Amino acid sequence: MRKLLIAALLLAGGAAAIAQAPPPPKPTTLASRPGASGGEALYLEHCASCHTANGMGTGLLARRIQPALLEARDNLPAQYVIVAVRQGIGNMPAIPRGELSDADLEAIAEYLAAGPHEAAQ
Amino acid sequence: MAVDFLPPGFDAAKLAQAQRAFESALGADRVFFEPLDRTGYEDKFAIDDAAHVPSGAIAPTSVEEVQAALRVANQYRIPVWPISRGKNLGYGGSAPLLAGSVVMDLSRMKKIEFDEEFGTVLLEPGVGFYDLYDFIQANNLPYWLSTPGNSWGSVIGNALDRGVGYTPYGENTKNLCGLEVVLPTGEVVRTGMGAFSGAPTWGAYPFGFGPGWDQLFVQSNFGIVTKANMWLMPEPESLMGMDVEFDRPEDLKPLVDVIGPLRRERVLQQSPSIGNWLRAAAVATRRDEWTDKPGALDDSVIDAIRKRFGLGWWGVSLRLYGREEVNKAAYAILEKAMNAIDPLLIRSTMWRKGEPMEYSGWTGTPITFPMQNVNWYGGRGGHIGFSPIIPQNGSAALAQFQRTYARYKEYGMDYQGSFAFGERHLVNVNAMLFNKDDPAMMARIDPFFRQLVADAKAQGYGEYRTHLDYMDLVAQTYDWNGGALGKLNARVKDALDPNGILAPGKSGIWPKGQGPRAGERG
Repeated sequence: MRKLLIAALLLAGGAAAIAQAPPPPKPTTLASRPGASGGEALYLEHCASCHTANGMGTGLLARRIQPALLEARDNLPAQYVIVAVRQGIGNMPAIPRGELSDADLEAIAEYLAAGPHEAAQ
Repeated sequence: MAVDFLPPGFDAAKLAQAQRAFESALGADRVFFEPLDRTGYEDKFAIDDAAHVPSGAIAPTSVEEVQAALRVANQYRIPVWPISRGKNLGYGGSAPLLAGSVVMDLSRMKKIEFDEEFGTVLLEPGVGFYDLYDFIQANNLPYWLSTPGNSWGSVIGNALDRGVGYTPYGENTKNLCGLEVVLPTGEVVRTGMGAFSGAPTWGAYPFGFGPGWDQLFVQSNFGIVTKANMWLMPEPESLMGMDVEFDRPEDLKPLVDVIGPLRRERVLQQSPSIGNWLRAAAVATRRDEWTDKPGALDDSVIDAIRKRFGLGWWGVSLRLYGREEVNKAAYAILEKAMNAIDPLLIRSTMWRKGEPMEYSGWTGTPITFPMQNVNWYGGRGGHIGFSPIIPQNGSAALAQFQRTYARYKEYGMDYQGSFAFGERHLVNVNAMLFNKDDPAMMARIDPFFRQLVADAKAQGYGEYRTHLDYMDLVAQTYDWNGGALGKLNARVKDALDPNGILAPGKSGIWPKGQGPRAGERG
């Protein structure tokens, strides 16, 4: 959360509280995990913008659940992931089938269901 | 299920016929007409969820498939609403303006062709900012993006909606350089040097010969952009700047009057945005951490927010990009200018190529965390933006702020406002954060928005971009000479889209016989 706060303040031009704070992390994309394949690669392509270290999803989940990183969770059944993605959940919009096929979503859901994953640490 | 998702003039049987025709053209696995698909393409931030429900969606993956889909649309006269990635949250997201339209989801078109020597990139509409960032990282290319606060969306989709970023390349629509467009009747055209067979300069010279067409396909419904060239900023040798805070609301006037000339002179080449305390607080916290009182936040809460985050009433970040020697000289000019108008604090920043980088919008890094502000009020949050173009003048900006802030208080909403510099104008972006689970609040949003449009109109200020719900309203404010521009748009629309199938109502442009033109013979 501290990193998120810092980044938010930087964009707002609010600096006094953050002079000594660590900077926000580099975005996690496929390039940062060149060995990723299958569900993990699809997760990085479709989910990581919000659900890695500096993402909106991580920031909002951190207000009510730990760990906030989905890849660090050990309690995400595949069917739950599929429903959340297709219907949207909380502040997250639905991800429709034209953008993410059923087959790719299943692969992502199975990847998350097999967590926690070391890559998230 | 109620049949309120049917296109105008359609019954369920006719819609099923059109669906089958789309399936024949694209394959059943790219055609989506289930109830879950209709909700999946809704506008997450809609004030009225029922207003923009599509009948279904299709996902072509090539120019040829876009053409094939348009043949079906023309045959059945079914409206099609193209989206790049549909992440234009606050403006309608993936939803069509006209309920019953078929969403044409182009997010599977993700080709990237990068010219490393010149920093031009030919993109398909499904390429998101994270995709392009990933491509640059994977190939170690010395270029930076210009990312918006929500970088989840499409690079060219953002440029085609005149979205902005934070770097010197921040007016993204100005960095378009030649498009490939499928017209509503199916013909494919290329603009600029793309019209010249085999020209190696499509991405280098934007105008070609004769009339320039690129901006005719921006915020329009005259064609479907299937490729666009964009210019990227070479990685600079250094990035210098300062974050500056100011104590009083009235400080907006000198701030605008000091930064404006520096921007026009191009000492400052990026577009700074002056924002208030809520811009940070709404991202980092929720309102119930501060108060349980209804109505706009009072001064005691504002003071508490400012104290915790070390913010002024206004803050602005100024950044310089390029050669270090040039930046150092320009920095001294900025520092002198800011110190002359009594800032609360100045914090300087400095980066040189090779040093650890700040991963923020200032370095063109894609980000999504600013969207956390939709959780400010809790519940199913959302926002829309009211963003008039105003003169780059301190007195005008201060008066606009005072009028708008008074309206926020009148309607009991927390004020999140900013004044973003172009080269000769300001965009006054006012975010309306809301909680869709608060019916009393939601009932205030529409009259509040319409009031702000009317207030701005009285000053001669028009919006640069708006939500689906207000495209007609905003288009009608562009009323010079009896709305001559709107009439010209309608004539072009009728000429290019005789069956009126492409994005009816986009930017207030309706085909003959539809919407406000229902009385005209289609």
